[in-house]
Amino acid sequence: MVFVSDSLLLQIALNLLGFVVGLALGIFSYIGFKNTGSPTLFRLNISFFSIGIGFGVVGFGVMIESFVLNYSQVDSWIQTLGIGIQTVGYFFIAFSHGIKSFFPKSRYFKSIIMPLFIIPGNSLEHIIRSISFILLVYGTIETIMSYMENRKRSTIFVAAGLGLLALGEFLGWYSVVFPKSILYFVSLSTKIAGLGALFIPISQVPLRGGMKLGGSV
Amino acid sequence: MAAVYRTHMSIIGDILTTTRDEAPDETGASVTYLIRKANVSHGRLAKILETLVQQGLLEQNTSERACRYKISPRGREFLQAYRGFREFADSFGLRI
Repeated sequence: MVFVSDSLLLQIALNLLGFVVGLALGIFSYIGFKNTGSPTLFRLNISFFSIGIGFGVVGFGVMIESFVLNYSQVDSWIQTLGIGIQTVGYFFIAFSHGIKSFFPKSRYFKSIIMPLFIIPGNSLEHIIRSISFILLVYGTIETIMSYMENRKRSTIFVAAGLGLLALGEFLGWYSVVFPKSILYFVSLSTKIAGLGALFIPISQVPLRGGMKLGGSV
Repeated sequence: MAAVYRTHMSIIGDILTTTRDEAPDETGASVTYLIRKANVSHGRLAKILETLVQQGLLEQNTSERACRYKISPRGREFLQAYRGFREFADSFGLRI
């Protein structure tokens, strides 16, 4: 019987929660994309699936290494891979704002999947976290700007959600500096709370009748 | 006041809304009426209308005088879904 610490269990539970929340948001965006054919909803769909899968990679990775492979210490590449996948998700949120603000008419630019990130091998996790942080702060600022225009309450919840995700990434980066501290769990919990806040707009969409449409325009 | 760019999707939403809520009579809205209400050029509107009829979102009534367009039940469903997801995207500060 392998001893699994409480902190490891908490880490697994929080990451799996993030996986479920991210996937749920992704599925909702996918339904929207299927119904309307909107490229914005397609990007949100990729974004939330990436965020969810990123959490899932860490959660399932830690779980498999601890319970199945009986490793005494979890490989650091799992964490790096998971955060890297989440960063792709944050990128697509920021990317959608970038298109809206700077390239509203460009159809060619919209077709670009993603730019190439050239990342050195060392300190990969620091770099990925800082990229995530910048993308999330950008997304938060753009969402606040949109709130100034439309004054919708759900928009401020989304801004708060993205802000919490950014704070979570920042604390996560700090936890690398102080590895034995509680910061990692605070970071993870903050990110889950951020994802939870992104759920508010879904509650305002009437999920009946018209959502069964198959084709897109 | 700065001009607001409308996405292809929002133009479709405007056309469907016009045919649903503002059609002048039972037979539907004419192309001229749609150009004025949805604020789109004739060339662009013609292409969009063709797609919407093909997709079954609009019904085309061809008479001797002119073509008229009426929203179909499928179009009403689409419009309802579009409005829901537009709210969702709006909350993210985005436009669908």
